[in-house]
Order: sequence, then C-alpha cells, then structure tokens
Amino acid sequence: MLGAQLALNAVALGAAYALVAIGFVLVLNATTAVNFAHGESVVAGGFAAVALTGALAMLLPAGNAIPGIVLLPGVLLLTALLGLAIAALAYLPIRNRPPVSVFVTTIAFGIIVTNGLNAAFGAAPRAAPALLGTGTIEFLGVTASRQSLAIIATAVVLIGALAFVLQRTQLGRQFRACAQDPEMARALGIRLTRITLLAFALGTAFAGAAGLLLAHQFFVTPSDGAGLILKAYIAVVIGGWGSLRGATIGAMLIAFFEVGVASISSQPLAEGLLYVAVLLVLLVRPDGIFGEPQRLRA
Amino acid sequence: MNPSTLTRHRWPLVAGAGALVIYALFFASSYDQRILTLSGIYVIMVLGYQFIFGHAGALSLAQGAFFGVGAYVTGILASKFGTGFVLTFPLSVAGASMLALIVAVPVLRLASHYFALATLALSQLLLLIAVNWEAVTGGANGLPGVPPISIGDWQATRGLPLLLFVWGLAVVAMLIARWQLRPARVAAFTVMRDTPLAVPAFGIDPGLLRLRAFLLSAAFGGAAGALFVHTNRVVSPETLGFGVMITCLTMTVVGGRFGILGAVIGALLLTHLPEWFRGLDEYYLVAVGVLLLAMVVFAPDGLASFFKFSGSTHTPISTPAQPGSTEYAPPVASGRPVLEASNMSRRYGGVQALDGVDLALGAGEIVGLIGPNGAGKTTLANIITGIARADTGNIRSAGLDLARATPTAIARHGVARTFQTPQLPDGLTVREAVETAAANAGDTANVRGAATAAEAIATCDLSDIADTRCGTLPHGLRRRVEIARALAGGPHLLVLDEPAAGLAPEEQAEIAQILRTLAGSGLAILVIDHNLEFLQPLATRLACLDAGRLIADGPRDDVLANDAVQAAYFGLVMPTSTSGVSA
Repeated sequence: MLGAQLALNAVALGAAYALVAIGFVLVLNATTAVNFAHGESVVAGGFAAVALTGALAMLLPAGNAIPGIVLLPGVLLLTALLGLAIAALAYLPIRNRPPVSVFVTTIAFGIIVTNGLNAAFGAAPRAAPALLGTGTIEFLGVTASRQSLAIIATAVVLIGALAFVLQRTQLGRQFRACAQDPEMARALGIRLTRITLLAFALGTAFAGAAGLLLAHQFFVTPSDGAGLILKAYIAVVIGGWGSLRGATIGAMLIAFFEVGVASISSQPLAEGLLYVAVLLVLLVRPDGIFGEPQRLRA
Repeated sequence: MNPSTLTRHRWPLVAGAGALVIYALFFASSYDQRILTLSGIYVIMVLGYQFIFGHAGALSLAQGAFFGVGAYVTGILASKFGTGFVLTFPLSVAGASMLALIVAVPVLRLASHYFALATLALSQLLLLIAVNWEAVTGGANGLPGVPPISIGDWQATRGLPLLLFVWGLAVVAMLIARWQLRPARVAAFTVMRDTPLAVPAFGIDPGLLRLRAFLLSAAFGGAAGALFVHTNRVVSPETLGFGVMITCLTMTVVGGRFGILGAVIGALLLTHLPEWFRGLDEYYLVAVGVLLLAMVVFAPDGLASFFKFSGSTHTPISTPAQPGSTEYAPPVASGRPVLEASNMSRRYGGVQALDGVDLALGAGEIVGLIGPNGAGKTTLANIITGIARADTGNIRSAGLDLARATPTAIARHGVARTFQTPQLPDGLTVREAVETAAANAGDTANVRGAATAAEAIATCDLSDIADTRCGTLPHGLRRRVEIARALAGGPHLLVLDEPAAGLAPEEQAEIAQILRTLAGSGLAILVIDHNLEFLQPLATRLACLDAGRLIADGPRDDVLANDAVQAAYFGLVMPTSTSGVSA
C-alpha cells in the first residue's frame, strides 16, 4: 500500500501548502497587494512553534512531550501580530504607489524576519513537535502516519472556519465586497483600512499555522521563505488568481507533483522541475492558467 | 522622479569623488581597498539593474542569478581549465546574456508580479543546480583556486592594482550606460512606465525596449559576477543566493533607480555600512531590511535625488515651426480609400460588439462615428489600431493588413489614435512627449524627426506650454497634446475617441478648428463621439452604429434624417434595443 501512503503524505503536504496559498489570496483579494513576505511568515510560524515549545518545556516537568496542537493558538496569535506589522509598516504607508513599491517593502520585511530569526535561532534547521504524537495507525487497511492525519485534520478545521466566516457572516460579506470592488465597498461605508489589517492578520496567521504543520517533518530554517512564497504563488497561479478554492486545488497539485517526483528521484529534482514547470506554464499562459480579471481600459 | 542630467552645482560631487580617490590611493589599508574593490564591482551590477528595475520599471529578481552565472562561468573555466581573463570575462558576460535571452521568451511578456516571481523561480532553479551538480560546480563548497586577473604579463594583484582595474571597468560600464540611455530612449522608458496603454500610440515597441533593458542588466550582472570571483578567488553558491539579489536591490533603492550617481552612492554605502555598524553583529542584515523598507516609504527616489539641482536641460529646437505645412497624404494612389474595412465582427462573451461592419475613409475626409453607449464605437477604434482583434472581416490601411499587424506597427505605419481618457506620461514635458512619438515613428513618409514634432506642437497651438510637464496640464490641454502626439508620427489616418468629451464649448471649437486644418492637408480623420453639437459642423460624413451594426453611413444630413438613426440615437421611436459593451 505504498501508493496510498504516498497519497496520504501528498494530501498532508498539500493541506499545509493550501493554508499558505489561502493566506496569500486573502491578502491579495482584500488589497490587490502581492505580499512577498508571505514565505517568511510561514517560517516565522515554524519558529514561533519552536520558541513556544521551549517556553512550555520550562513550565512543565521534564520528560513531558508537548503535542504540537496545543501550540496552534499561540502560533496563530503571534503570526497574526506579524501580519498586522506587515500591513502597518510595509503596505498602508504606500498603498497608493505603484505595485512594485509594495513588492519591495514586503521583500524588505521578509529580509527583516529572515535575518531576525537567523540571529535569534541560528541558521541550523529546527523542528517543531508533532501535532498529536508520532508513529502510525492502521486505518482502513492502510498504515497512516499520525502526523499526516493530524495535519489534514487541522487544515480542514482552519479552512472550514474561514469558509464559514467568509460565507455566513457580515464580516465575510465585507471581505468579499472589498475583494470585488474596493472603491464601491468604501463608498458603501466599509472601513477599508480595518479590512486590510484583518486580511493581513488572518492571511499571515494561516501562513504561520502552515509553518507549525510543516516544521515537524520538514524542519524549518530561516532562509526557507523564498521557496515557500514561490509554492504559494504557483498554487495561486494554477488555481486562478484570487480564487480560494483554486488556491487549494493548486496547492494539492504542487504537493502531489513534489511527493510523486521525489519518490522516484530526489527532493531537489522535484523542486527544480516545479520551477521549470512554472516557467513553462507562464510561457503558455502569461496571465496564469485561468487569467486575471483586467481592470485597465483605454 | 524623472531622470535628468546634472548641470550646475556639481562641485560637491566633484569634491566628494576627489576625496574618495585620494583616500583610495593614499590612506586606505589593504582591507579598505578590498571593500572599495567590491564597491566597484557592485557599481557595475547596480548600473545594470537600473536598466530593468529603474527604466523599464520591472522588479527583476534575477539580477543575483546573472551575477552568479557570470561568477560560475569564470570560476569553472579559470579554476578547472586555467583559462585566462581575456577569455573568461567575455564568456561570463555572454553566458549571463544568453541566459537572459533564453528566459526572455517566457518571462519578458509577463507583467508586474508575474515577472518578479518568474525571475525568482529562475534564481531558485540556478541555485539548486549549483548546489546539487557537484561534479561541475563543486556543490555547496564551490570551487577554490580561481587565479587573479592577468592580461598578458600584467597581473591585477590584490590591493591597488585590482582596485584600479575594477573601477576602470566600472567607468567603462558608466560610459556604456550613458550611451545606451540617450534622451529619446529614456523618454520611451518613461512612457512605458507612466502610460502602458499608450505605448503603441507613441510608436514604441515595448517588447524590444524591455528586452534591451533585460539583456543589459544581465550583461552587467555577469561582468560583476566574474570580477567578484577574481576578487574572492573562490566561487560558491553564495554568489547565486538571494543575498546577492537583496544587496543589489537595496543598493539600487538606497542610491537611486536612475543614474550613475545613484549606483555609485548605493554601492559605496552598502559595502561600507557593515564596517560602520560592526556593533550590530548578526542583526546587521535586519538593519539592512529596515533601511530598504524606510527608503521606499520615505525617499523612494534614493539618496542621489538629493543631489539633483538642475531643472529641465532641454535645448529648444532651432527649426522654426510652421503650423500645418505637413502634408498628411497617404502613401497610396489618390482616389483609393485610406481605410478599408469590410464585414468586421467581434464578440465578447455573449455580446456581439460588432456585427458585419463595413467602413471606408478617404484622404482629407472627416467621418463622425456616432451611436449610443455600447454600440461598439470604441471596439471599432480598438480594432483599427490593433488593440483588439476582429473575429472576422478584412481591414487594411494604405497597404497594411491591420488585422495582423501589432499596435506599434500600425501606429508606425501612420494610423494614429487618441484615447477616451488622455494617456500622457506625467513625467515628460509636452515637447518631450511629442518628440518621443516623432522619434519612434519609424519610416512613415511624412516624418522629419524633431521638426515634425515642433510642427505638431505649433499646429495644436501648444507652443506656449511646450516645456510644461504633462502631469500638470488641465484636461482640455491634455486632449490637444494627444492630438499633437498623434500628428508627430506623420499619420495619414487619425482615429479620435471622444475628443470633445469633458471640454468647454470654446475648447471644443479649438479642437474642431485644428481637425479642419488637418483634413485640409490630406489627413483622413475618424471622430468617435456622440456629441452632435461638436460633430455636426465638423464631419462631412456620418456613420451610425447601433448594437454592433452599422445602420447608416452617408452624408451628414441624410444620416441624421434616417429613421433608424433617429430611433437608435434620439430614441424617438423606442426600438427593441439590445445592450452591448460600453463604448
């Protein structure tokens, strides 16, 4: 049943990537800003988990393993604060400038996060605890890793909660209104700045949660950000610019590609081929696979 | 900010440069000289990056990759085969340029974030290759034993010789940058950044311009990488890492996106900052991030912008302008139409924007294209100028198949247009904008360069404000500048999209007078408008579109009397109207 195990691993990886991609789209939709610090937010989530584990270990009697899932609220909170900082320092002051300015300021924020973490934790890979213990369980005749199942469950709960908020609440309606037409939303009395701050907080918290989920099996190093933003971006381009469902599907595709190629060759080759694939996709479809809505008019 | 050359108050810069030379020659320790050498290398890299990031306005994240490719080409050839600098240096430049040329096909068409992320993907890909292809690249440890630069018997040993050699090449790079950035091309880049929609209307080929900027950035990056390897004597994946890219971006933002001074200030400052801020230890790079962020927010034009004291350096053209002396005759046999369109159809989703439209225009004719909102007027204008493509139909102008040519080729062929919302680069003066259009007009028979531009300005009565920046002009004047821009290309056909919209009656009269003069000298003019008070006295012929169909075409009074026109246009009889795309 190697195939089923690989598939489960791929779904778990895809679930984590989906959180990253959804966080990216949340910010994108609320602000049309491309947040280049998003990869570093994932890394920050991983290190938040590492730091919280260290802090909890001091409080608890020695020998007690801390399940990663109890860290989730703390990680969400810390990375949400990071998101507010990104919005306040790198986006809001220059929101009326050309988009390239925001690219550069968010890159600058990424540099600050990467090197801050590097200085505080060192460049070596660190691991976060498993969510609900390690090992495997038998499930429908398949030997499944507990961590993979826990990742999938956590991601499903988070994405489900987000879907509920966006679809069923007044706040969600405001979010969607801002995404569709920010000018009109503002004219209708929606406070754009508040929605912007919320989008950055939520989006970055989703990235942070993904950091916690990924940092057990794959470890976390301060310089991981560039690879992660690329994967989120690729997922969004594949799935359709601005579509949350598309981003999830794109994230799954990337994960299956990576796990599949890595299982028959090596991880670097899988990653390299992924980048080649992006360049090829953009060669055929310069606006992404489903295109981007055009707002320019002569 | 608009790049302009320095004219006066140069002395603080000259003094600064002099002090730097004296410091480098007489006071710098060998360690200081090493830092200064690195600055020179980065000057070359940043000068290259200014082409793509500054002038082309595109965030490339591949400058580090080009630097790394230059570094590895030199590193591998020199350390494994002992190849000399005379060969490795050109090969490094060529290698980086080749890579840029190859990826230009998928990457250069991309806009905005697509371009940034595609170039980032390229960088990550090359880094993966460098780390994992150990047999060639030496893997994570890289390749040691790169010899110093030697040309013949002479060797650029560490210290002053290497320092002077590198800065010598930096000066060469500055001269190349100056030569490449002649005023007309700088203006073309400004148009591309400020008004992407109007780029074809200026006759500018955006693809070629971006390719030039990208190739130059790669060549300069490759050269810098090669020199870096000779300075460090080892090539490692660090040369391909994101760190180099960030260094380059920070230098460019801190120094300035435009100009030699910006490159020099950025490179000198960012190479010396680590020495001045040793106390920060590993938090130094955090400080670099803060600096980059703060510069973009508070001083987006870089430190070099604080040294600009000059005003406009434009030298007025000596040719006396004679309004209206140009003949706008088409390069076709007289009697043949300037525009021939037959059976044009275009569908947008469920909307038939154009449905089997035939239209012809002759030289010297002013045709008014009328019709209610959504009738397909702007769609037709877009098809004539190549911005949109018809699904079916033939459309030709003076021997050119407009259905196949690019918008730029159509403009250069002599089919000019203005836009519903004037599209003018804020940063250029009226004269610069019109001259840019004249300079890029291609081989249209009617163009005589700057003289044509001056004439177009005079024809549109803009001489008094020729040196005012377009960004400060009121709406009515912007419309006239658009017409002048269109004339600068020496057109035989002019398509005007609602030229009277938003204008006061007297401004409308001025425009009408200009158009009449132009038609008198042979120009065919298609005016899209629904303002009949403007059109009625102006147009000799009217064509009326309704829901994509041409319902009338003929002499003005006949068309206005036509029942279908009355119904569609004045709503006298309510027809079963279909909605179309907005005009």
